[in-house]
Amino acid sequence: MNNVIFFLLLGLGIGSLYSMLGAGLVIVYRGSGVINFAQGAFAMYGVFTFDEAHRNGYIRLPWVDILPTSWLNIPVTIKLSDKGIPTLPAFAVAVAMAVLIGLAVHFFVFRPLRTAPPLGKVIGSLGVMLYLQGVAQLNFGGSGRQPGNILPDGVYKNFLGLGKAFPKGAVWAVVVALIIGVALHALFHLTRFGLATRAAAGNEKGAVLLGYSPQLLAALNWVIASVLATVAAIVVGPITGSLTPVGLSALVVASLGAALIGRLKSVMVAVWGGLALGAVQSLLGFWSSKDWFPTFLRSGVREVVPLVAICLVLFIRGKKLPIRGTVEERRLPLAPYPVRIKQHLIAWSIIVVSASFLFEGSGKRTVFALALTTSLVAAIIMLSMVVITGYVGQISLAQMSLAGAAAFIMARMMANGSTTTSNPFPVSGPGLPWPIAALIGVLAAIVVGVIVGLPAVRIRGVQLAVVTVAFAISLQSLYFENASLTGLSAGAPANVRSAHFFGIDLKSIGDKGLSDRPEFTIFVLVVLILCALLVANLRRNGTGRRFLAVRANERAAAAAGINVSRTKLLAFAISAGIAGIGGVVLGFKQNDVSSANFVYQASLAYLAFAYLGGITSINGAIVGGLLAPAGVIAVSSNYFFHGTNIDRYTTVFGGIGLIVTAVANPTGIAPSLQPLFQHFGRWLRKARSAEWLAAVRRLGPTAAIGAALGAGIWPLRVDSYSWFWMPLLGAVLAVFIRSSVMQSRAKRARPTARPVLAAAGQAPSAVEVK
Amino acid sequence: MALLRTIDLTVRYGGLAANADVNLEVNEGSLVGLIGPNGAGKTTFIDAITGFTSVSSGRVEFDGHDLAALSPDRRAHLGLSRTFQSLELFDDLTVRENLLVAAERPKWYSFALDLLRTGRTSKENIAQVDAALAVLGIEGISERLPSDLSHGQRKLVGVARALAARPKLLLLDEPAAGLDTAESQLLGGHLRGFVEGGTSVFLIDHDMGLVLNVCDYIYVLDFGEIIAHGTSAEIRKDPAVIAAYLGQSAGEAQARAGASLAANRDSAVPSTDALNGDSNG
Ligand SMILES: Nc1ncnc2c1ncn2[C@@H]1O[C@H](COP(=O)(O)OP(=O)(O)O)[C@@H](O)[C@H]1O
Ligand SMILES: [Mg+2]
Repeated sequence: MNNVIFFLLLGLGIGSLYSMLGAGLVIVYRGSGVINFAQGAFAMYGVFTFDEAHRNGYIRLPWVDILPTSWLNIPVTIKLSDKGIPTLPAFAVAVAMAVLIGLAVHFFVFRPLRTAPPLGKVIGSLGVMLYLQGVAQLNFGGSGRQPGNILPDGVYKNFLGLGKAFPKGAVWAVVVALIIGVALHALFHLTRFGLATRAAAGNEKGAVLLGYSPQLLAALNWVIASVLATVAAIVVGPITGSLTPVGLSALVVASLGAALIGRLKSVMVAVWGGLALGAVQSLLGFWSSKDWFPTFLRSGVREVVPLVAICLVLFIRGKKLPIRGTVEERRLPLAPYPVRIKQHLIAWSIIVVSASFLFEGSGKRTVFALALTTSLVAAIIMLSMVVITGYVGQISLAQMSLAGAAAFIMARMMANGSTTTSNPFPVSGPGLPWPIAALIGVLAAIVVGVIVGLPAVRIRGVQLAVVTVAFAISLQSLYFENASLTGLSAGAPANVRSAHFFGIDLKSIGDKGLSDRPEFTIFVLVVLILCALLVANLRRNGTGRRFLAVRANERAAAAAGINVSRTKLLAFAISAGIAGIGGVVLGFKQNDVSSANFVYQASLAYLAFAYLGGITSINGAIVGGLLAPAGVIAVSSNYFFHGTNIDRYTTVFGGIGLIVTAVANPTGIAPSLQPLFQHFGRWLRKARSAEWLAAVRRLGPTAAIGAALGAGIWPLRVDSYSWFWMPLLGAVLAVFIRSSVMQSRAKRARPTARPVLAAAGQAPSAVEVK
Repeated sequence: MALLRTIDLTVRYGGLAANADVNLEVNEGSLVGLIGPNGAGKTTFIDAITGFTSVSSGRVEFDGHDLAALSPDRRAHLGLSRTFQSLELFDDLTVRENLLVAAERPKWYSFALDLLRTGRTSKENIAQVDAALAVLGIEGISERLPSDLSHGQRKLVGVARALAARPKLLLLDEPAAGLDTAESQLLGGHLRGFVEGGTSVFLIDHDMGLVLNVCDYIYVLDFGEIIAHGTSAEIRKDPAVIAAYLGQSAGEAQARAGASLAANRDSAVPSTDALNGDSNG
């Protein structure tokens, strides 16, 4: 009993970190309706700023110098002293930085997003998280730091007579958390500012009546949340051990738990909730080391149990249909009716197949072959997001975990107790042939997908997004990282035997040990095409109509005879099936799978890139696949800009790209490419030699100027730009920019054209109501 | 036999009885109206019948079934189709697709066929949709998106969508709100057409002219209770109705326009001017 009490109390230390971050989440949610996935990243940037100033005397501003030149630089660093400044000034610097970040995030990201659909806001906050993570890794380094403890060191011997030594820091952490909680409670309940914020949460007009600008309130709330995160991390962070950018950003998950306990409404309840979460986690950690504890639950139970409890609470509170008068959330961009599918598929196939042969064994350019398969696999997984999020509007942040479930089950079904080079520990299993193993994997993903989808029956919008994150983490820690279930020892990957098809070997790795076999690329391409056809059929038939009806309006859908719950579950099943296919193919591509492929952050990143590509269309998934980490675009930028270390900035650019897309172009990239391709394709088919000449005459000068610029920039740059690629890139960019400008001018000239419906061949005609 | 019957239907929101012991019948082949001031509980009544709000006590019977345990979509399958007071069209679907959603009754395996084949829309459903479009005279806008349409057109699409399901009973929640006099007159004509086509109609509206003219039988709801019912001639003379409405301030322009329209068409109208409904948005 003493032990139980002791570990409960011990957990309050980290719990106080959850409470303060959770309180910040509540504040932001009330102020701007955003679930701020970047809350942990705020804390991270704050505590690193503090440590850097305290230890080394530098301020690192929250951006990076991307200019490759040595004579022109963006200032990033401010030097305060040679050997670090004392604690208090460093604390002040960190708080100032938090204020700056809070304001910047409000004005550059969430103010423009204030009328965006919930998904847009989720994407915006993911963008901020990625951006801050990327910047911190560049500015502070990705390795762990142990900031100085500003709370008293040492222990209370025999704390409360429990017979054990208890760290003083933990006690103080709880005291700080409670003081802050009470102060915030007072701020929101006793002051005009708090009243106005609460009024604004219900209705912006309320705040205006009280004489406050809703946007000013939102900005202030962002600042409070950011400062709170920073203070929490500086005060409590050190007691959790060494801090890394990624690890700290991940704190947001447990904090979301705290915020949800407070129903995203009450700061005080969130504070208590955070403390309770920490205590329960600590106790579960203690129990899981006991003999009586079920072995298969040992790993991950700490992470999972509290989250599951929260999901249950949300689920029981939720309603099957939204109640009347629920504020209609802004909807997602239109999901276009797929047209000219055959042409699209032929075009994509020609490009992919020729590229796969072109880059086979092509020296340095072989990287493209690998990037191509990476992109194709990513596109399959993103298609699953098009179904569940694009068509049915359910934000699922667990798609990679579903892919992982399929891949892991397949690997286990293939296992036959033999060992491989990458995994010297034998894994037992039935040793099934690949098609059966793959099928079982996909079916398993569907089952898991339906389970993940169950909460969606009663939970909507961002809350559902949070619940799916909880599921993703549960799968990760209960299954993928759980040696007693996977049979894998010491983090070794699970082996996947390669597929073969009527005598064709579908190995991904060729004789030279490079992943560049065109056979495999074409195999992945075929799988992608089949999945794309499934999704296209879906969209064009009754099931797709019902999906979109549910997305548009659940009440009206029910009135039209649609079983909303069943439709959502069906969508989760189909989407999980596609994700599972993606996971299986990923297994074949890598020849093994490990938990690192399917961490919950991977789902976030993939959703983000799918959104960037265009979450509501099939082409969007394909463009998203091209954009995916280690995909074609990332690899080619690396290749072309080799020497600038542009890959260091991938996360930063990814974050900025997400924010810009969410703010400026929520339909994603694919739809804006469409007219360009259409235009170009029509022209290619029709053009005769005279027109070719005319085109050369028209575009030639632009291309030449671009090429000259490219050639001219080359010597100014660092070493290894090729003489060939820079001018070519310059020419292509120049022509691209020119035609985009012409396009947008043409569009402005006839703003009423409606491309989608005009294409369907129906001239809109007015109807007389009289 | 009554198609729809409610027996002591009561819906409570907290302490407020939005519907109190409502007994109401709609016979097959009839057009029944429900009027009452804003907040009287009319929408709540439709919600209770169609399963969108839970019933505190009492029963709803439809076509011989007790609806108590049925979800909204099951009720729709039984032949209860409704429109919403606020426009609730599917914004991502064209007008035709909006209607198709309501017309189709998928089997459990439909999704598998949908995944594998294109163009699975059945001829029967297309005919159903075309018929609904034709009845309301909106074939011309069938390929457009709801966001492109005028308010009046959207109202018609909402009614057409409910009709496309070939319901036994059509429940209309203020279909004429926001329409001008001529538009609502046209709508009235359509409603009689539905009844002749075999669909019974239950109509809620503020437009007195519309309700008093087209309905075979009318119920009057006030503070959740039925205060009168009868044919339109009886309702016009009913002292309880007049008392309930005379107490209120003079009606808004729309209500008056509706009332005077009624007066023009039916000369024997004492005191319909006094009938007053708030128009709401
Ligand atoms: N979901 C709800 N929760 C609480 N009260 C409600 C709810 N829906 C309606 N009401 C109340 O019930 C009463 C009847 O409303 P309603 O049915 O919309 O009237 P009507 O359609 O006749 O204008 C009103 O006082 C309204 O405020
Ligand atoms: Mg109403």
